[in-house]
Amino acid sequence: MAAPTPYTYIQCPCSDVSTLSHPSDPNSPTGTEADEDDRTFDPRAPRSNYSLYPLEYLLYCEDCHQIRCPRCVAEEIVTYYCPNCLFEVPSSNLKSEGNRCTRSCFQCPVCIGPLAVTSVETKPDPRLLAPDNIAAPHSGPYALTCSYCHWSSTEVGIQFEKPNSIHAQLAKLRNGGTTRLTAKERKERRRDPAHRSATTEGEESGEQEDLDLETQFANLKAFYQNQLADPNSADSGLAALGDLGFSSPTSLSRIMSIYTGGSLQDKKAKSRVGAMREALEPDEGLQVANLDESAAIEQLQSEGHDGTACTAQRVDQPPHLGEEHLHGRGRFTSELRPIPYLLRTKRSKRCPICRHIISKPEAKVQTTRFRIRLVAGSYIPSIAIRPLSLSNGGGSASGAAAVPGALLDPLRPTHYLLTFKNPIFETIKVTLGAPSKTPGRFASKVTVLCPDFEIDANTDVWDEALKEGGGGGGGGGERDRERERRRRKREEGSQSNNNHNQLEVGKIWERGRNWVSIVVEVVPASLRVEAGDGPLREDEDVLEIPMFVRVEWEGEAGGDEVGSVPTRDRDTREKRELAYWCVLGLGRIRQS
Amino acid sequence: MSSRRPPRGEYIETDTGNKVARKATLVGTQNIMLGGKTVIQPEVMIRGDLIRTIQASSQSASGAAPNSTAVSIGRYCFLSRGCCLRPPGRLYKGAFTYMPLRIGDHVFVGAGSVVQAATVGSHVHIGAKVAVGEFAIIKDYVRILDGTVVPPNMVIPSFSIVAGQPARLIGEVPEGGHEAFELRDIYKTVGNNPQPAPS
Repeated sequence: MAAPTPYTYIQCPCSDVSTLSHPSDPNSPTGTEADEDDRTFDPRAPRSNYSLYPLEYLLYCEDCHQIRCPRCVAEEIVTYYCPNCLFEVPSSNLKSEGNRCTRSCFQCPVCIGPLAVTSVETKPDPRLLAPDNIAAPHSGPYALTCSYCHWSSTEVGIQFEKPNSIHAQLAKLRNGGTTRLTAKERKERRRDPAHRSATTEGEESGEQEDLDLETQFANLKAFYQNQLADPNSADSGLAALGDLGFSSPTSLSRIMSIYTGGSLQDKKAKSRVGAMREALEPDEGLQVANLDESAAIEQLQSEGHDGTACTAQRVDQPPHLGEEHLHGRGRFTSELRPIPYLLRTKRSKRCPICRHIISKPEAKVQTTRFRIRLVAGSYIPSIAIRPLSLSNGGGSASGAAAVPGALLDPLRPTHYLLTFKNPIFETIKVTLGAPSKTPGRFASKVTVLCPDFEIDANTDVWDEALKEGGGGGGGGGERDRERERRRRKREEGSQSNNNHNQLEVGKIWERGRNWVSIVVEVVPASLRVEAGDGPLREDEDVLEIPMFVRVEWEGEAGGDEVGSVPTRDRDTREKRELAYWCVLGLGRIRQS
Repeated sequence: MSSRRPPRGEYIETDTGNKVARKATLVGTQNIMLGGKTVIQPEVMIRGDLIRTIQASSQSASGAAPNSTAVSIGRYCFLSRGCCLRPPGRLYKGAFTYMPLRIGDHVFVGAGSVVQAATVGSHVHIGAKVAVGEFAIIKDYVRILDGTVVPPNMVIPSFSIVAGQPARLIGEVPEGGHEAFELRDIYKTVGNNPQPAPS
């Protein structure tokens, strides 16, 4: 359960209370403003769970210049497809067939592994699995088998005549292999009086005809529709309900009387209510509940707890397909049916504010490319955390303390190296702010040794190589050259810093092409619980530092900006800034 | 290059940049295709001897040279210590035969995992102690967490994160997580003169 330490989570601004309550209110009272400035983000607050994301999960809207998280983007489905056969399902099919694969893709109801069609008679027939078995004579019947838990559909008495279009065949079969009537067949059977009398007489169970679920519902529905429409059984008010809906004034007054508690109800209406009768015959949809559960109890005794289906297994089951009746269904694993695969989707994502698309995959199922993919990782600096051990002033960033996942010693100053990597092609200025004490009951002391620094642009690797090889080249503009000089100078400065290898406030630890490492000193709190305080709560020993990151850079002014002049390139560069909270998880503190 | 032979390192580095540990067990090397820049750590086993014994009807009819590749691996793959790649086998037209195991580019196989898939796509991360069942098909950008058992014949679509026994979809790879599958950096960190990982 320990998170892979150390980690960095970034807070999406969508959950920030200050931006939610009064977005861009210029004349808010100064008192609250100062209040908000002082407010530090508490990573332990219950709400924080929902707003912190690793950098990979975040997107970035180029038009709003803001981070977007999975919770605040608007998703649109591009493609539906089956995760097993990877066939695309058109959305028109989805409306008629439902959100499951209608080909031959099924999951094991016991273990959710994939099911394979195998021949029942000759144990897994090799011919079946071969792709080119057109010539080979088929030997039915077939069953679905799970190669993980060795479940077979023969356990619920389901066998198939053909090895293809399993979904259509399964829809006609109940558990135990009895056929399930289609809607058309059911209608015909109801109309056919000969069949009806035959079944009622032939029923050996005696007086009651055994209705299956669908027939019962159809009969009931027909019966009640008849009741409502029949002018003899009920008069105008009810008839209007069945025929015309709620357009007639009598039915309306009836409905009103229901809600107003009888004040509008007249005597006439009262007599009408009693005019409807309930179903009395199987033809009318009456099905006497089978309250005899001795069979189920017996099975429970013989099979025990292992034989019963768990909630997850029952939830996965397609509703009302396996059994004939509602009573006592789906209790045992022996009653579970194969699950058709639930379809998956490819989704595009929109910015919730400006409605621009910020992520859009290719519609085809097999391709993994994206047409648009604006991920936060290519706009905001990434932060990597590494423990830094300064044993005997050696300064190499390795040692005993650098073991990942090691517990932090309370009250012993520990140093961490934060490496910021700049992904954009501009030099960025980073300002960090962290509370000197972490929020929560056990406050650890935090000191960011260099909270203010610049990171050079993420220039092309080849540009860099050419410049260094060709001695300036001449391709880069004057600005670039100037920047290069500045960088060199800084590098020298940091090198001398490295040689001394001491922690100096305000000094960058190390610097590279587009990255900067700084040092954070942490004094973990002691986890001693005072008398009278509650015991140590879950994850209270995790040392998490909230840190406010402000990034400033000069970007090209977009054409859509107000007051920008697109003709003069040099002058249209404008200051950009992005600020957000993030959480640095350093690890767990040792409990004393 | 000087004529002096370099000291024997832990790895054999080929012209195409493959780094094969001397302590790796590669059986039937002539049937193992490496795309280049692939790292094979010690105690890895690749069963190249399990070749297809029955050729597909179209191939045998045309009389083409029998394709005897048992395991083909793309570029920048990383096979961690103690993992095993084994072509899947089944009955085909009444006789048992093995089928080739194809692995794409940038595929990481964790320590102690056994892969018997039919196809593993590109940019796939298979964790440690994972069992990938026979004829499983793993598409691109898939992350299989440690200890997962992928049942035989399972298809794992792109951008899936699976875990559990049997494997179950537990999440999707986020848009920003595609670059994490790149194995170019880890390739440089092993070999006879490894470079430190970039911070």
